[in-house]
Amino acid sequence: MAENETRKPILKLENINKRFGGVVTAKDIKFDLFPGEIKGLIGPNGAGKTTLMNIISGIYTADSGTIIFDGMDITNVPDYRRARMGIGRTFQSPRFLQRSSIRDNLLIGADLGNRIGFLEGFFGKKSTNFEQELKDMMDLLHFGFNWDDEISSLPFGQRKLLEIVRSLLSHPKVILVDEPAAGLNPKEINYLMDILRMAARKMNIGVLLIEHSMDMIMDICDSIYVISFGVPIGEGTPEQIANNHAVIEAYLGKEDE
Amino acid sequence: MAEKKLELKNKRFTGPFTLIISVVVFYLVVKIMCRSLYSQMVVNMALVFCLVAYSVSVMLGMCGELSFAGVAFMGIGAFTIANLTTGRFGFKISPLGAFLVVIPVATFIAFIIGLILLRLKGTFFSFSTIALVQVAYTFFNNYRPLFGGVDGISGIPSVRILGKQLTNHYLWFPYLLVFVVFVGLVVEHIRNTQLGRSMASCRDNETAARVLGVNVYMTKVIAFTISGVLSAMGGALYSMLIRYASADMFTYDTSAKYLIMAMFGGVQSTIGAFIGALIVQILPQVLKVFQRYFQLIWGVSIILLMVFMPEGLTGIFRMALKRRKSRKKGRISVIQEKGEE
Ligand SMILES: Nc1ncnc2c1ncn2[C@@H]1O[C@H](COP(=O)(O)OP(=O)(O)OP(=O)(O)O)[C@@H](O)[C@H]1O
Ligand SMILES: [Mg+2]
Repeated sequence: MAENETRKPILKLENINKRFGGVVTAKDIKFDLFPGEIKGLIGPNGAGKTTLMNIISGIYTADSGTIIFDGMDITNVPDYRRARMGIGRTFQSPRFLQRSSIRDNLLIGADLGNRIGFLEGFFGKKSTNFEQELKDMMDLLHFGFNWDDEISSLPFGQRKLLEIVRSLLSHPKVILVDEPAAGLNPKEINYLMDILRMAARKMNIGVLLIEHSMDMIMDICDSIYVISFGVPIGEGTPEQIANNHAVIEAYLGKEDE
Repeated sequence: MAEKKLELKNKRFTGPFTLIISVVVFYLVVKIMCRSLYSQMVVNMALVFCLVAYSVSVMLGMCGELSFAGVAFMGIGAFTIANLTTGRFGFKISPLGAFLVVIPVATFIAFIIGLILLRLKGTFFSFSTIALVQVAYTFFNNYRPLFGGVDGISGIPSVRILGKQLTNHYLWFPYLLVFVVFVGLVVEHIRNTQLGRSMASCRDNETAARVLGVNVYMTKVIAFTISGVLSAMGGALYSMLIRYASADMFTYDTSAKYLIMAMFGGVQSTIGAFIGALIVQILPQVLKVFQRYFQLIWGVSIILLMVFMPEGLTGIFRMALKRRKSRKKGRISVIQEKGEE
């Protein structure tokens, strides 16, 4: 089977360092993310998880280290170019165009997928099968909307799910998902896992997932990377992490005996 | 509970049919109401200024950046017309030909200035556009070879269209109306393209814009350029209408008027800019008795609008429409609940 083939990572971090004043938020972070892999990025509050995503998507620049994406060094590539190369992103609290309709909010994801240039866009070249893709994804998420409505008319949970849809509509190669389950009800969390699995298995996207819900992380991730105060303290499969003493300590505090 | 269905049909406020009817009605109303050349001139001016109001709508409404630069580009448009049609460079071209030259000239200048000024953000950018207006005014007012100094440039020949000389305001009106509506459609179209959405993302959430692949700086520069060209076309038509161009038509003071037009109608909508321009330009003429108080009235109404209805008249209209819709929806859901019992 293709399993034994030497797989190439789609995203590779090499010794990423970042500090804000005295606060170390990333210390020698290095990992590989493969196409179709769901990698959990976990750690206590303030560990530097969101910061690391910001470094990968180019919102922050690392103090040192290298980011390789799809075989290319993108350490000095500006954020919007990285997005066009295929690094998708969602946020801890969803970021939408508040004054625009749901349609425009989703189309802007498809725009990124097409990037046909402003002029061609002006003369009405349509995105290929945007509507079909959207319908397929909404089937997984079990909710609908009238897309002339304003984005603010959707409840928080649906907005969070829709942010993932928006990113997937851009056909990314990697998607960075920051705490998607926060604020979702149990049903929605199941739908969320379905769409993330679909992204990884069907679309072969590398998924980097920050999440505090351990049930979800253990259930869905192929591998897990743990940081605490910016320092990597464990890496491995869910089973390995569940039995990793350093990780248990960081989460539960040192056990006194 | 039934899940809400996915509805992907595009609903538009105005189909082409409604649009044509409205334009024809507007034309007839103006034809009937305007009994004097003077009142026709007022309407024509309103249409011309409407282009400048569009430019505010693009920059402020779509892109979220407040720019005062409109009048400077109006000046560029007007003086380009004046120079090219009166033979000051040793050759003459027709006003319409000159109008076609205005577009690339304004595009070029607005693009370069945009590249420079948009290195600044928010308030700093706004201030820099005020400075731009002052600098432009100083040139217009003092540099005789290009701008005629305090005397301005007169003697712009009348426009000839389809073999007819547009010698009075009645003759101008239909052409202006069609042109302004056409430009409005183009602006409205931009709103619904990738460029429009990129601009909206710069306005609403720059971080989201970036991770969605939008080059925020370049998008704003393009918006500034479009807005500059719109203003320049307004200025060009202004000078073609009154057949004269001079610095005092393009002072910083007058820039407030165009902002008021766009804000009054609602910066988020193209038709808002159109309506705003008409109201702000025409109302003082209709209510002549109050003319002395109009600065005051505009001032107060802008404050009230900004506080209570930041999206202007069209915003009020949209709100009312939404209320009606949600009331209808409310009724339906009540019925459904009863049915489930
Ligand atoms: N722009 C910034 N300037 C200064 N300090 C920052 C900045 N961004 C993040 N930090 C600091 O970096 C540390 C890590 O923050 P980060 O948001 O990455 O944590 P996190 O792991 O995502 O936490 P949470 O689980 O609460 O979301 C925090 O101490 C935070 O205060
Ligand atoms: Mg975080």
